[in-house]
Amino acid sequence: MTELAAPFRMSQPAISKHLKVLERAGLVSRGRDAQRRPRRLEAKPLAEATRWLERYRRHWEGNFQRLDVLLEELKTAGRNQRKRTGRKGDHQ
Amino acid sequence: MTHAVKNRGTLEVTTPSDREIAMTRVFDAPRSMVFDAWTRPELLKRWLGVRKGWTLAVCEIDLRVGGEYRYVWRKDNGTEMGMRGVYREIVRPERIVCTEVFDDKWYEGEAVDTMVLVEENGKTTLTTTVLYDSKDARDGVLKSPMATGVGESYDKLDEVLADSRFEPADGTTR
Repeated sequence: MTELAAPFRMSQPAISKHLKVLERAGLVSRGRDAQRRPRRLEAKPLAEATRWLERYRRHWEGNFQRLDVLLEELKTAGRNQRKRTGRKGDHQ
Repeated sequence: MTHAVKNRGTLEVTTPSDREIAMTRVFDAPRSMVFDAWTRPELLKRWLGVRKGWTLAVCEIDLRVGGEYRYVWRKDNGTEMGMRGVYREIVRPERIVCTEVFDDKWYEGEAVDTMVLVEENGKTTLTTTVLYDSKDARDGVLKSPMATGVGESYDKLDEVLADSRFEPADGTTR
């Protein structure tokens, strides 16, 4: 943990707390090697979580692109209507 | 999350806490228009979950506090998927809070949706946050058919086709 803490301007207890959260979430595991407790990054659950989020994002982006098209239509319809009303009685 | 970049088409999805999923997106339209697109059945049927053979076949909205909404999507092969909820807050055209429950239980209990619309220079920033009863419930939704494209497998196919390692079985190319 001393090694892990070295690059951060954080106290050892603070680092230890962060590591515990990551361990609980299954993102970091702890080994055993004499006096050391080497931590290992568990990348798989992290990658999985990112993948689900990305699929969710893609699904909604599809919805929102259709919504963009609809909004453009509504804006055009609104403009045309204003034009018609604005020019009422104006015979050019 | 900040709203520093306000380009249309950039959808940001985040998990602000263990129990939430949040989305932020900018639309090039005034918020009253975006609000209508979310709350008028004839407009919602044009875009919400309408893809690859799916229609929003049932869309009933009783837009008042305590009023209910009901959506049913139907695929051309007859498969259906439905959800419902109750409005808790309605501030046109800036805010809606409602509950949501899916017919197919992907998660326990009901979730609470909060939608906020902020307009600036004719553009609207939409933020939706869904708060689930538990982390498990939220994670269930991320893995649900909804998240992967309203219960169908085309996404899988897209993935396979997009995979750079994909090679046609006959081996004619590459």
